[in-house]
Amino acid sequence: MASVSTSKAEVSYIQSGLLSNPPLRADGRGLYDYRTVSLETGVAPLANGSAHLSIGQNPHDGGGGTEVLAAAKLEVESVDPGKGEGMDGGRIVCTVSCSPSAYPHLSSSALDDLQHDLTTLLHQTLAHPSLHPSNLAILAGKNSWLLNLDCVVLADAGNAHDALFMAARAALWDCKVPRTRGVEYKAAAAPAAKVAESGEMDVDRDAEAQQSGFDTRSIARAVDFELPDYWDEGEVLGGRERWPVCVTLNIAAPPPGSKGSLVPYLDAIQQEEAATPLRLLLVFSFPPATSARLQAMRILGSGELESDQIRAFVGTGENYARQLWDALNGKLRDEDIRRGQRARDRFARR
Amino acid sequence: MISFASFPVQPDRVSNSIRRFPDDADDMDIDEDDFEAGGSKITWPGESITSSQAYMRGHGTYVENEEVVASVAGTIERVNKLVTVRAIRTKYNPEVGDLVVGRITEVQPRRWKVDANSRQDAVLMLSSVNLPGGVQRRKLESDELQMRNFFEEGDLLVAEVQAFFADGAMSLHTRSLKYGKLRNGQLVTIPPILVRRLKSHFITLPCGVDLILGLNGYIWVSKHVKENEQEGEEGFDAEAVYSNRNDYIDDSTRTAISRVANIIRVLASHFVPLTDALLLEAYEWTVENDTDAKGLMSEDVGDALVATITSRG
Repeated sequence: MASVSTSKAEVSYIQSGLLSNPPLRADGRGLYDYRTVSLETGVAPLANGSAHLSIGQNPHDGGGGTEVLAAAKLEVESVDPGKGEGMDGGRIVCTVSCSPSAYPHLSSSALDDLQHDLTTLLHQTLAHPSLHPSNLAILAGKNSWLLNLDCVVLADAGNAHDALFMAARAALWDCKVPRTRGVEYKAAAAPAAKVAESGEMDVDRDAEAQQSGFDTRSIARAVDFELPDYWDEGEVLGGRERWPVCVTLNIAAPPPGSKGSLVPYLDAIQQEEAATPLRLLLVFSFPPATSARLQAMRILGSGELESDQIRAFVGTGENYARQLWDALNGKLRDEDIRRGQRARDRFARR
Repeated sequence: MISFASFPVQPDRVSNSIRRFPDDADDMDIDEDDFEAGGSKITWPGESITSSQAYMRGHGTYVENEEVVASVAGTIERVNKLVTVRAIRTKYNPEVGDLVVGRITEVQPRRWKVDANSRQDAVLMLSSVNLPGGVQRRKLESDELQMRNFFEEGDLLVAEVQAFFADGAMSLHTRSLKYGKLRNGQLVTIPPILVRRLKSHFITLPCGVDLILGLNGYIWVSKHVKENEQEGEEGFDAEAVYSNRNDYIDDSTRTAISRVANIIRVLASHFVPLTDALLLEAYEWTVENDTDAKGLMSEDVGDALVATITSRG
């Protein structure tokens, strides 16, 4: 991806450190250590669900680190095949944009390419039918929710893919779908029934028949919807625990001609990314009570992998993805509790 | 393997850092009485400093309603009647004679463009570098054609600020055997204001690590090279000076480099100005407490380190 400017001496310093035994990284981390990840949900008041995530941010001056904002916004969309792309049961559209300040060395067209790549990856993974939430439908054949997931990469200090997927998962976890209730225009009773009634109510009945214009098509089902409680945030997305996480295995290869095995490592900083051309992206989901599901896989960069090696790396990746998954779930629950607490405090102060 | 944290709360953070690290302006000769009495020495943008009738406005200030007002957050400095505010966060302001570490961004006819954390890219002329075959030699056309053999895009170098161009861009030179291409180590970037002017910006720590403190906030941490093994001692060896290949670096040196780099990051995040004595003390502290480079990344250890060495200093 973004190749930050590095000298040959720096690249070789990083590579030889990774390939030495024991492996030594430039900042002293182990191969499978992440930098500290900071996460906060509910950062955008106008979104239905949002998250702010940073990897490796300096706790004191807030500088450095990869920073991603994700926000999910629901909008009502018509399912009518003639108008737009609406689908029965709702749909998800993901967009990733990158701040030019995150990639100052990229030209605007290169930045567009990068955004497009990230958008495609995120959209193809998250909008897959296997992950589709159950409660995006409003009225069958009429309306459904369109879930727009917008992510912004504010700063990139390496490992933007993992950050992006974590932020997306947090925002979708946080996303609340407003409760809706179908509204039915009560048609007058069928003419046959009316006749059967006694003749006393003739006048009224005629008036009723004139009022209900919808009666002409005699639709006996809901045609519109309303929000039963405007202030209610709604219910969480169905199957929200299924949203996947991404683990990027950066693969340091020994120089051609020399022996030695490939060294995978996690959470590369930008210089390490520049020094490691080959990266394997593994997107895992761990639904409860079933085995892990590999939702997407990408190999980025030049270089090649043998299928045996890929198999081994998928196993390694699954292991670390599970750890990441557990840690992220714990943090998301903490965030839910923290926000509940804050809301209660604010209510009590009033 | 992975740990999650929350974002720090903003107001707390600011007040802490000010309280813990009283700024160095303490020992400067500022006539306190004439300025706002008491309070912190750090201005905020829009803070009125003094009357514009008694004082002249300098950099970082403007005049409004007959008052000198700070336009940046920084420390107040005064020379006679001239009041300036030196910004805390700023690009590097070069001065002639400064030692800087830079990275080549562009190769142009007879010159290189160098990123030195300044407002504009610096310029390194082909005529201000040492060329193979002796220090004093005419530049040939063949030199112009093989400029990428000396420095290419992305290369790091240490140089001195030689002069300024009319537009304020700085011109660098590497006309000394101490200057030139950098290898065998890693770069750490910190705010330029944290690098003090020292007697020498080439520091050797006893743990086998060399440091080059660029005044532009770029710091090169590398393996120690013995004096007598430095390239170009006898005659000028262009092959070695412009080499891209690292020497063999053993594991203990490599860990020491990481450790020093992380110490610098910790000190910079706590906004402690760097000096050689401070770095040495910090390194000894990590050895005493058996802290490795990875441990330094945790917040508690970093706080403890900074608390110890600033209280001693």
